[in-house]
Amino acid sequence: MRTNRLKLLVGGVQLRDGVTTVTDILGKIFTRAGLFAVAMEKGYASTIYGAHQFDPMLVTEEPATSYGDPEVDILVALDYDSNPDAPEQPNRDTVLRHGASLRDGGILLYDSSTGEIPTDRLEARGVKVFPIPARKIAQSELKREVVKNVLMTGALFRLVEFDGDEAYLTQLLEERFLRKGREVVDLNLQAARRGREEVERILQAKGYRLELRLEPRPGRPRAVYISGNECLGLGAIAGGVRFYAGYPITPASSILEFMEQWLPKYGGRALQGQNERESIRAAIGAALAGVRSMVGSSGPGISLKVEEIGVSGATETPVILVDAQRAGPSTGMPTRPEQGDLNLVVGGGHGDFPRIVLAPGTIEECYTLMLEACELSDKYQCPVFFLTDLNLSEGKKTVLEDVFQRRKVQRHGVVREEDVRGRPYRRFELTPSGISPRSVPGTPGAIVKVSGAEHDEFGFVSIDPRKRAAMMEKRMRKLETYLREDWKPPQVFGSVRGNPVLVGWGNTRPVLEEARLVLQSRGVPVALVHFTHVFPLHRERLEALFADAGPVVVVEQNFTGQFADLLQRELRIATRRVNKYNGVPLHPTEVADAVVQALEREGAVVRIGGAVPVPVEVGRNEHEGD
Amino acid sequence: MNTKGIKLWDENAVPKHRIQWCPGCGDFGVLAALKQALTELEIVPHELLLVGGIGCSGQIRNYLNGNAFHGTHGGALAYALGAKMANPELEVICLAGDGDTLAIGIENFVHVCRRDPDLVLLVMNNGVYGLTKGQDSPTAGLGKEVRVFREEHPPMVDPLLLALASEATFVAQSFSGDVKHTARMIVEAIQHPGFAFINDFSPCVTYNRFNTYDWFREHVEYVPPDHDPQDKDAAWRLVRDFARRGKVPLGVVYRNPRAKEPHGRLPMWEDELAAVDLEPVLATYR
Repeated sequence: MRTNRLKLLVGGVQLRDGVTTVTDILGKIFTRAGLFAVAMEKGYASTIYGAHQFDPMLVTEEPATSYGDPEVDILVALDYDSNPDAPEQPNRDTVLRHGASLRDGGILLYDSSTGEIPTDRLEARGVKVFPIPARKIAQSELKREVVKNVLMTGALFRLVEFDGDEAYLTQLLEERFLRKGREVVDLNLQAARRGREEVERILQAKGYRLELRLEPRPGRPRAVYISGNECLGLGAIAGGVRFYAGYPITPASSILEFMEQWLPKYGGRALQGQNERESIRAAIGAALAGVRSMVGSSGPGISLKVEEIGVSGATETPVILVDAQRAGPSTGMPTRPEQGDLNLVVGGGHGDFPRIVLAPGTIEECYTLMLEACELSDKYQCPVFFLTDLNLSEGKKTVLEDVFQRRKVQRHGVVREEDVRGRPYRRFELTPSGISPRSVPGTPGAIVKVSGAEHDEFGFVSIDPRKRAAMMEKRMRKLETYLREDWKPPQVFGSVRGNPVLVGWGNTRPVLEEARLVLQSRGVPVALVHFTHVFPLHRERLEALFADAGPVVVVEQNFTGQFADLLQRELRIATRRVNKYNGVPLHPTEVADAVVQALEREGAVVRIGGAVPVPVEVGRNEHEGD
Repeated sequence: MNTKGIKLWDENAVPKHRIQWCPGCGDFGVLAALKQALTELEIVPHELLLVGGIGCSGQIRNYLNGNAFHGTHGGALAYALGAKMANPELEVICLAGDGDTLAIGIENFVHVCRRDPDLVLLVMNNGVYGLTKGQDSPTAGLGKEVRVFREEHPPMVDPLLLALASEATFVAQSFSGDVKHTARMIVEAIQHPGFAFINDFSPCVTYNRFNTYDWFREHVEYVPPDHDPQDKDAAWRLVRDFARRGKVPLGVVYRNPRAKEPHGRLPMWEDELAAVDLEPVLATYR
């Protein structure tokens, strides 16, 4: 019997089958039960309806290092219809696509409403198969098709022998549906019971013995089941952001939704821009008026905002830009993760101007690092990028609430009337730090003239060579100040000295941490150096860090190795690279394998999932919408 | 006229001898009218935010007192929108050209008309891109008879009709050669509780040799006193009638304030941001 560690995958037809309805119920209930859930490998398509959707979830006793490898213990197929592309195995895209990920001896739970499917090959691997006609029962017995999800959820609870499921489920359903009437709650509870009964029936008929178990751990510290976008939204509110603007785009739309829901309750406003440019321009306007402002988008939207990034940099009007990265270029794969926007945010825009790029490594850091982003933008009066990706933004996990510490919001160098009384106020005063006294319109005695055109200390336009040089140097000096006062070195796991070093940035940290453990267990001692403060980089401190390191392997989810390029440029160190760009999240074991390969020779570039020829099967329609 | 008040507007500004407009530029009239209107309304410079577009006209922001912002071509209205949403206590006036507003910035123009923030947009319309040496703008061709068009030179955009179609709540037209009337329009625009659009004809003496001061003096006509500016159909008819007669209306063409929910200044100071309780948000994720 294995207790409190299992990975499951729920799959079905997008919108119709309610895949994330099920995983959200599971995640919330397991979190309430004191367990830890991670669902950060979401697979869906950029269509509303009809595509295959899946949501893997790892559930553990203690917080897991990462979401782990693709192998699952339980496969839940909510789809019930036939697949015209695979007449030999009607039904179940989910089974077809993910059957291979099901471990030997695992469990398959599927909706058999349109008939049972041949599962001999799975059963030969010891897989226990539970066909349950969920849709049929929901339609004929319960008279509401929609409760088929809860029926399958009930079945799943029975399969993992989760005690107290009825109490947890009752509470959750009451919170959600009681305002619609007691009978809605009761109907759902009845559906869950029917699911359990069906499992019971099959257990007896087939004589299966279950060996996975999830036990509640009541009385643990409070936790929430929450996504990265929600965490960074919370961080922004706690960090003093009171104006948010965003144009709908996957996977940043949920930030807009969060802000529209919550920002007004904290006195702020959230604006759905009519386009990407209106969003950032309005945010710059609000920031000019003194309010902490943020925009959110993904690669295509950030591309459209590039001109305004320069405005923010040149006018020293701070804006936080969240870039929830997705696979590019162009429209790319809107619902697939990638770390492909680093070059864009580090180098996008004409001319030179200061900017800071941060990239949280975990959902927790979406909150804590956002607090920092808020302070940095205010202090350095420049654009601050906050790079997540689809899985970090849309993925959810159990987060202990002590993460959500409040920190006092500080206004940095914003002058008030009393500060400027009796002396001429210079908005762009040349200072040793490069940071000039900021005033907001409405301050008596501190009129501000602000322009993206080159200007003098008062803000009046000037093309005087000396003034230009001084102003450019002043602005860029802010980065030196930042590196000296606020830049954070990468987190180092293990000892760098003489060992191969895995290098990563942003959202891949959990997987790299776990890959390091995998390598260690194979007798390969590696260190992990993980960056959240990815630009600018502190050359001296990093050169010292890497001085006695072994081979440096940079693992990234992009084609060229954008961070490796940056490291090579800034630190002049040789890198080896592991890149994955097929739209599938990185997994620990494949990273470990790739690192071993990369260690074989200098300058190695190992491409995960890239070198295998993909067979094209004629007659099988694999087209998906965009 | 209150000359002491007018002088206030020369402080914190580029000195007059450094103004970089051609002698006789229509924008001088707008500058004079603006100062008159601001003086009349006793607006305090530190509470004023002038958002300039890119082009000759946008430079006006630095030619008088008051806070100023100047960003990208076509962006003025969107910056102004954000600033006004953040701090409704500011008096926000956008000063931009016809190319800025109706070519590269038309997306902002249409949607800000709809959004109706309480700010003023004064377009200094001269039919050309003066700063880049006289290319056609979307309002090029006013009063010119053209029988055949090309993709390269399409018919002009009528800013008034576009504003009406975009649900603007205040639409007026002025001619900078008539400073007193322009000042009157600015006063009424500032007083309008919502988005107020003034299309001001501001002749480019260097690159538009057709729509000259003389041309305007021959073609402008005040909006008749019996026009009901609250009536949108009448506004539409008025613009069309004038166009048919080859005339250019001056005055308030449409004015119909919209019911709107007021909003205060957004929290921005440390004390305003100190007491933030995240509990209600966290509770929904437990």
